[in-house]
Amino acid sequence: MTTLSLKRFAVLALPMAALAMTTSAHADEWTPSRSVEFVAPANPGGGWDTLVRTVSRVLQEEQLAERNFAAINVPGGGGAVAWAQIARDSGNPHKLFATSPPIILVPLAGASRHDHTDFTPIARLITDYSIILVEADSEYQTINDLFDALKENNSLSIGGGSAPGSMDHISVAGLASAAGLDASSVNYIPFSGGGDAMTNLMGGHVEAVITGAGEAVGQLGEGSQLRALGVSSPERLGGGLADVATYQEQGVDYTFDIWRGVMGAPDMPEEAVAYYETLFTEMLETDGWQQARDQLGWLDAYQDSETFGAFLDEQKEQFSSVLSDLGLLRQ
Amino acid sequence: MDAFNNLMYGFGIALEPMNIAYVFAGVFAGTIIGMLPGLGPISALALMIPITFAMEPSSGLILMAGVYYGAIFGGSTSSILLNAPGVAGTVATSFDGYPLAKQGLAGKALAIAAYSSFVGGTISIVFLMLVAPLLSKVAVSFGPAEYFALMVLGLTAVVSLSDKSLVKGLIAAVIGVMISIIGIDLQTGTERFTFGSAHLLDGIDFLVVALGIFALAEVFYMLLRGGGGKEAPRNAIGSLKLSRSEVKQIAGPVSRSSVLGFFTGVLPGAGATIGSFLGYSMEKRIAKDGDTFGKGNIKGVAAPEAANNAACTGSFVPLLTLGVPGSGTTAVLLGALLVMGVTPGPMMLEQRPDVFWGVIASMYIGNIFLLVLNLPLIPLIAKILDLPRPLLLSLILIFCMVGVYGMSFSIFDLLLLLGFGLLGLGMRLFGFPAAPLILALILGNIMEESMRRALQISGGDWMTFIDKPISLSLLLIALLSLALPLLKKRRKKVM
Repeated sequence: MTTLSLKRFAVLALPMAALAMTTSAHADEWTPSRSVEFVAPANPGGGWDTLVRTVSRVLQEEQLAERNFAAINVPGGGGAVAWAQIARDSGNPHKLFATSPPIILVPLAGASRHDHTDFTPIARLITDYSIILVEADSEYQTINDLFDALKENNSLSIGGGSAPGSMDHISVAGLASAAGLDASSVNYIPFSGGGDAMTNLMGGHVEAVITGAGEAVGQLGEGSQLRALGVSSPERLGGGLADVATYQEQGVDYTFDIWRGVMGAPDMPEEAVAYYETLFTEMLETDGWQQARDQLGWLDAYQDSETFGAFLDEQKEQFSSVLSDLGLLRQ
Repeated sequence: MDAFNNLMYGFGIALEPMNIAYVFAGVFAGTIIGMLPGLGPISALALMIPITFAMEPSSGLILMAGVYYGAIFGGSTSSILLNAPGVAGTVATSFDGYPLAKQGLAGKALAIAAYSSFVGGTISIVFLMLVAPLLSKVAVSFGPAEYFALMVLGLTAVVSLSDKSLVKGLIAAVIGVMISIIGIDLQTGTERFTFGSAHLLDGIDFLVVALGIFALAEVFYMLLRGGGGKEAPRNAIGSLKLSRSEVKQIAGPVSRSSVLGFFTGVLPGAGATIGSFLGYSMEKRIAKDGDTFGKGNIKGVAAPEAANNAACTGSFVPLLTLGVPGSGTTAVLLGALLVMGVTPGPMMLEQRPDVFWGVIASMYIGNIFLLVLNLPLIPLIAKILDLPRPLLLSLILIFCMVGVYGMSFSIFDLLLLLGFGLLGLGMRLFGFPAAPLILALILGNIMEESMRRALQISGGDWMTFIDKPISLSLLLIALLSLALPLLKKRRKKVM
């Protein structure tokens, strides 16, 4: 059912987008008539919350938006509670939320009735990448060393910061399968966060850890107890991670994005989508954004509504296949 | 004298007029946040990130750290006066604090809480200053197997926390573990006991249970008993002064619990709540008058209060020296530091000594502020007990409801609160102790996760718990602490 509607969506997407462009050119430009509710589907402090608060702050400081962006936390169910609320608000042009791979993974795991096709994609903003870490004095020098060892002994434990079937696990399982191993053979140990996983690596309780590059950057460099084996980006990253080779450089053809973006209530009017697209493009250009982005270790990865929508569909296919290899597909 | 020079350097930063103002603002805001259930330090700090963004990093951290330890300091007030813990770390304070308040000794209980918090906070800052870099090794030496053993040791406190009937205590503990299981299982991603409800996917918030089982159940109980003529006249707040013998009594518990609390705080994932419970149950076991714990023993206030404040300071060790957060609150602090362009971690002492030493020095000042701020406030705040009973009960009710709703904005949680209130009332009427339930709820989740994680790493080999020296010794202590009271009991019976 879903794949069918997806295909139909793809067939319709192009002409509809063309139509949207012509109509929006004629229609009066839409601007928000009240403050925009910008929902972080989680508690304060996490990735979504940081994105929501940073975007709201930059928009306000740079005086880009006509109306205030109000950050709202709706925690619960790894996002499912907020999604259920927003899905009921069809057509509301004043309701946005921060999004990232869980919008695809949580429904695939059977834990949410709503998935990305229920909402209006607005824009992808930034991305982070996965990084594989080992102890500084570990015998492994490349990801191939690690995977060779895994082939010999698949009980070697790889820690990550999230539950099985969520980002870190998908990322390392996909990598293993690209390196010629069975995705389900990775002994993935879930910890309650990237920090928790890295602490356990420092204590030698696990063999390696997969986590977000942004989260790991503070742990690398001179005098540190950890060392990076590889990063999931298509090209080398800058700053403190310039020395870390990509998987592709090491002969494993695999990349993984931990993207973050903005979606809106279902069936948001085209004019409103166009307004937000322009707003976020302008925001990405400001000094305030670039400063915050660099400090948080984010990389710009802008996609407009249409490209973002197509990207989400692609991601869903990719994730479904890894999850089904892992036996975790429950949809 | 290296530490001394560094500390003087830190005071140079912390004593800048603006920074003094930030410490004061931080601890003041923290005290108030701590008193109000629901608005915990995590959400308060997350809301503050935009404010601190433009600040000097040392000032920003001074302010935010002040809110954090201020909240733990202030959280005891509502625990003692209303049996409604303001933050999770002060639940154990209500065990003896509230009975003391009921006996007309609210002033004394609050004063003891304030002094113990101050001593616990200050002792732990000394530790933080002197041994933080060394302790980072201790923090990472705790892996899943060690955590499991620590949680087992913590759970043995059920024996000492169940006052009359051990069986009833164990039943309460089992209920607590069952509640802790609700939600998505981190190890498999499976939903457990959620009955298909999205509201239960993240489990039940600890404070919802604590406020229900303590505060709401107390309100129900008082309503049920009606009249209330038999209680001591409420207007007696009592004196704030401690006699010399009282000071002597609490000196031991406060210093022991400060050290214990600090080390618990150093372990990522343990924190103030577990620290305060460990401190409380340790003192209950050591004390000669242990059987009066839970009925209004001043040591039962002193121990958890010293421990939770010490643990709060201890949690800065992994944050500042390893750059990894040990708790939700320090995770937010880490995020805030990154935004300000400071990367905590092994290099921080060299790269940003101003932040490191400035914050440590500011904590000394902050703790003094807290003491000076809280002591004069005690008679004012304790006046709340003068309110006529109907008003006071409604106030507690509103307090709990607003607090719980403010945490999640969910009506569902209010119903849960009500449900736990009724559960608490039932337990009270049938003589089931509430403390073991709460303890098991806190420890159950970490214990289960660590056990399964340890087994997953070892490939299912149970010897992993015995092979590791730390884990083995913790398990042995747990065994001892179970065996000794039983032996004591038997000996008593024989005699």
